[in-house]
Amino acid sequence: MEKVTKKYSPVMNFLRTPTPTLIGIYIVMLIFFSLGSENFLAIQNMKGIFNNFAVFGIMAAGVAVVMVGGGFDLSVGSVAGLAGIVSAVLLMKGIELSTPYVFVIAMVIGCLVGLINGLIIVKVGINPIITTLGTLAIFRGICYFWADLNPRIYNIFVQNFGRKYIGGVFPVTTVYIIVAFTIITLIFKFTRFGRNLFAIGGNENLARLVGIPVDRTKIISYMISGFFAAIAGLLLISQLGSGRPEYGTGAELEIITIVVLGGVIVGGGKGNFLGVFIALVIIQTISNGLVLIDLPVYLRMVVKGALLVLVIAIDAIRSKRHLLRY
Amino acid sequence: MAENANAGISKKRHFKINNTAILFIILAGMFIIASYVGRPFFFSKLNLIPMINNLSFIGVVAAVLTMVMVTGEIDFSIGGNIGLTACLTALLLERGLPGWLVVVIVLATGAAMGAFNGMVVTVIGVNSMIATIGTMFIWRGIGYTLTNGESILAMNPVIDYIGRGFVFKVIPFPIVLLVVVFTITYIVMHHSKWGRKIYAIGSNPLASFLSGINVKKVKFIGFLICGMTASLGGLILTSLTAVGMPQHGQGLELLIISSIILGGTVLGGGKGTILGTLAGVFILSVLYNFLTIMNIYYFYMQIVQGTILILIVSTYEMKQTMIRRRT
Repeated sequence: MEKVTKKYSPVMNFLRTPTPTLIGIYIVMLIFFSLGSENFLAIQNMKGIFNNFAVFGIMAAGVAVVMVGGGFDLSVGSVAGLAGIVSAVLLMKGIELSTPYVFVIAMVIGCLVGLINGLIIVKVGINPIITTLGTLAIFRGICYFWADLNPRIYNIFVQNFGRKYIGGVFPVTTVYIIVAFTIITLIFKFTRFGRNLFAIGGNENLARLVGIPVDRTKIISYMISGFFAAIAGLLLISQLGSGRPEYGTGAELEIITIVVLGGVIVGGGKGNFLGVFIALVIIQTISNGLVLIDLPVYLRMVVKGALLVLVIAIDAIRSKRHLLRY
Repeated sequence: MAENANAGISKKRHFKINNTAILFIILAGMFIIASYVGRPFFFSKLNLIPMINNLSFIGVVAAVLTMVMVTGEIDFSIGGNIGLTACLTALLLERGLPGWLVVVIVLATGAAMGAFNGMVVTVIGVNSMIATIGTMFIWRGIGYTLTNGESILAMNPVIDYIGRGFVFKVIPFPIVLLVVVFTITYIVMHHSKWGRKIYAIGSNPLASFLSGINVKKVKFIGFLICGMTASLGGLILTSLTAVGMPQHGQGLELLIISSIILGGTVLGGGKGTILGTLAGVFILSVLYNFLTIMNIYYFYMQIVQGTILILIVSTYEMKQTMIRRRT
C-alpha cells in the first residue's frame, strides 16, 4: 500500500469533477444577466432567487440520490403536489389538525409513494422512467380529489415555514437546502448505504454478486426521493398560501436538468452533491434572469427544454458512452 | 426471443394462442360489455364515428412509434410534435397558403423534428427517453410562442377533408389513412429486409452492428419517419377540431406508449408486432371512450391511464420472468 505513487489529493480530485466548470458558468452568467438588467443584482432579487430555489432544490436532492443508484424519478412533481394538497386540506378550517401531525402525515405520504415506486421498479423490474411516468399521472390524478375545496393556509407556523427571513435578509428556506445537501453528502461519504448506492449505480450485477442488498438499497433511495418531494410540497403550500392540485406540474423537467447538469451521470455511479447544488443555483438564476431580460413567457419553455437536451448531450459526451453505442 | 425458441420445441405449441389473438378477443369482449352497459349511446353513429376518428389519429402515430420502439429507442416528443404541427398548420392557413402546400410544409417540419431527435440520439448518443422529454418541451414551447398561447381557426377544404372527409361518402378519411399507414408499416416490419434489421437491432444491437447493419442509420430513419407521422397525426387532429392550438396532444404520449406496450412491444426492443399495436390502440380507445360515456371526471381518467400503463408493463415483465425461470 505504501508503494502507491499517485497520491490522493483532494484539490486535484475536486478539479476533476464538473464543479469548477459549473462555478465558471455561474460567474459568466452573473455578468451576463447583470449587464442585461440593472435589477438583477439588487438585494431584493437575490433574496427572491434564494427563496425560490428551495422547492426545486429539495426535490433535486432526492432525485440525485435515486439517480446515483442508477434509477430515475419523474414523479417528484406530482408527489410534491399530493403531499401539499393533503396537508393543506388537513390544515383547513373545520379540520385543523395540529401542525406536527400534518408534517408527519405529509412525510409519510412521501415515503409511501417512494416505497410504491421502489417496489414496482425493483421487485417487478420495470424501467424506472416508465414506472414513474405512470405514477406521475396517477398521483396528479389523485390530487384532483380535493380540487374543489381550494384550501387556504391560515396556520402561522406553516406560513412561516417557507417564507420567513432570518434577520430580515436571509431566507430560512436556504437553511433547509443547505441542511438537506449536507445531510445527503454526509450519508454518501460516511455511511454504508451511500457507498452501496454508488456501487449499485456503477454496476448493479457486480454489486449483487458482492453481497450488497441491492433491492433494499434501491427502494430506500426512492423513499428518500419521495420524502424530499413531500417536504418540497409543504414548502409550496407555505409559500403560495393555499393548496392547489396543480402545484409542482412540470417540475420534473427542471429537476432532471439540474441533477444532470450537476454531474450525476444518467445510469448512475457518479455524481457529487456540491455539483448538484451549484447546478441548482445556476438553473434558478437562469429562470430568474430570463424573466428579467423580458423573454416572452412561452419562449422560456423552449429555452428550458433546449437546456435539458444540451445538458444531457454534454453528459453523454462526458461519460463517453457514445463510444460504446453503435 | 427465448420465448419463441422455446415454443418451437414445446409439444404444446398447437394449443398456444398468440398474444395478439388474445388481445383481439379482449377487444371483442370489451365491445360487447361497452355496448351493453353504455347503451343506447355507445353504438350510435354519434359516438362511433368520433371514436374511430380519434382512434385513427392515435393509431397512425402508434404504428410508426412501434417501429422506433422495436429498435430499442423511444420517442416521448410525439405529443409536443402534434401541438407544434397544429399551430403551424393554423398559422400557415391564416397566411393564405393553399391547403396542399400547408400539408407538405407541415409534414416536412415533422420530419425535421424527427431528424433532430434522431441526430441527438444516434450521433451524440443520448438516452432517447430523456432527450425526447427535452424535445417534447421544446416543440410545445415553440407552438406556444408561435401562437402566443391562443387557439387559431384552421379552415381549408384540403385540411377539412383530412379529418372530416368521407371517401365514397361512407368511409371516414382518417380510417383510410389508418389502414394505409398500418399496411405500409406491416409490410415494412414483417415482410422486408428493413424490418428484419429493425428486429435484429432491437434484440442485440452489438451483434447486428458486428454483422454489418448500420445501426445508427436504421434508428435515425425510424425517428425521422416517426416525426413525420406524428405531424400527420397532428394534421388529422387539427382537422377534427378545426382549430390549431398549442395544447393539442398534451399527455398523448402516455396513451400512445401504453397502447403500444399493451400490443406486446417490449421496452428494450426486439419484440412487438404491428397487429398487436393495432389491437392495443383499439382496446385503450374503446376503454377511454367507455369511461367518458360513463361520465368519469377527466382527472380521474389520468389515474386510470397511469395505472393501466404500469399494470400492462408489469404483466409483460412478470410473464418474461416466469419464462426465464422455466428455462
